[in-house]
Parts: sequence; structure tokens; C-alpha cells
Amino acid sequence: MIGIGFVLDILSNIFLIVGLFFVFLGMLGLIRLPDVYNRLHTTTKIGTLGAFGVMLSILLKVGFSAMGLKAITIGLFLLLTAPVAAHMIARAAHRHGVDLCDESIIDEYCDSYDK
Amino acid sequence: MVFSIIPCVYRIIKGPTIPDRVVALDAMTLVIVATLGVYSFIQESVFFMDVALVLSIIAFVGTVTISKYLDEGVVF
Repeated sequence: MIGIGFVLDILSNIFLIVGLFFVFLGMLGLIRLPDVYNRLHTTTKIGTLGAFGVMLSILLKVGFSAMGLKAITIGLFLLLTAPVAAHMIARAAHRHGVDLCDESIIDEYCDSYDK
Repeated sequence: MVFSIIPCVYRIIKGPTIPDRVVALDAMTLVIVATLGVYSFIQESVFFMDVALVLSIIAFVGTVTISKYLDEGVVF
């Protein structure tokens, strides 16, 4: 008979490995993709999910102690503020005049304001 | 995690525009926060968790400030 602690341990290890792999993939996309906006996509979505996975893994490993609560607080904070920061830096980049990459076919935002 | 730091540093040094560098700094902060979480679990010490929380807050405020500066030319 397997206990609940064993199941939580296995889940925690799975979340840790998936989170670290996602963070690594996000940073790989940072070096591979051709454009500011594409890089913003990969870091803010994949990286945030990876960091949240790591923090959830720590919560599952240590339970609701001080470390676990702080970990899940960091995870929720990252999940809440990373899209806001990404939106603001993308808008600032577009208004600053950073061009899209050559493969882009449509840019609808440049009609909505005058430079 | 060191393998994840390397592209960030490369993009900070080489990145063609200023928003590239800001994105890379934000991503590097994310990697450092995840690393501090794992390190805090390994050391069984709560203090590195506080460091990670403060670092994520400072990164968010810094990113918003730089983007507002690039957008409008003033910070406040």
C-alpha cells in the first residue's frame, strides 16, 4: 500500500523536473528567436510557468510550513506580475520604434496611435 | 540553471535594442528566483525564500519603470 507521502513526493519531483526544463526551454528561446516580441513570448509564458512549477514542487515537498507558504507566494506573485510587465515592455518597445522581424505579415497596433 | 543563465547574459550584452536587454534582465531575474527556491530547499533555510520574493518584486518594479521611461520619457 503506497501512502500519500509517497505520491506527493513523486508529484513534487515531476513538477520540479518539468519546471526546470521549461525554464531552460524559455531561455533557449531567448537566444533563438528573431524579435523582441517573440522573445517576450517565450520568456514571459514558458519561464513563468517553469518558475511556478518549481515553487509548486517546493510546496508539495515541504507542506504548509513557512518555506512552502513563501514558495507558493512567490509563484503566485510571478504568475500575477509577469504578464503586466510583459505587456508594458511590449507596448513601450512598439512605441519606441522597434521594428518587427522580416517574417511578420501583419501589424495592427501601429494604426491605433500616431507616432 | 547555469545553462539557463548563459543565453540571458548573451542577450544582455549583444541585444540590438534596449527592450531586448530589459526582457533579458527580467528573464534572468526569473531564473535566479527559481534557483534561489531550489537552493533554499537544499539548504533547508527559509531566508533565501525572502531573498527570492524581494528580488521578484524589485524586478517587476524595475521593468515597469524602464518601460514607462521608454514610453513617455519621464518616470512618474
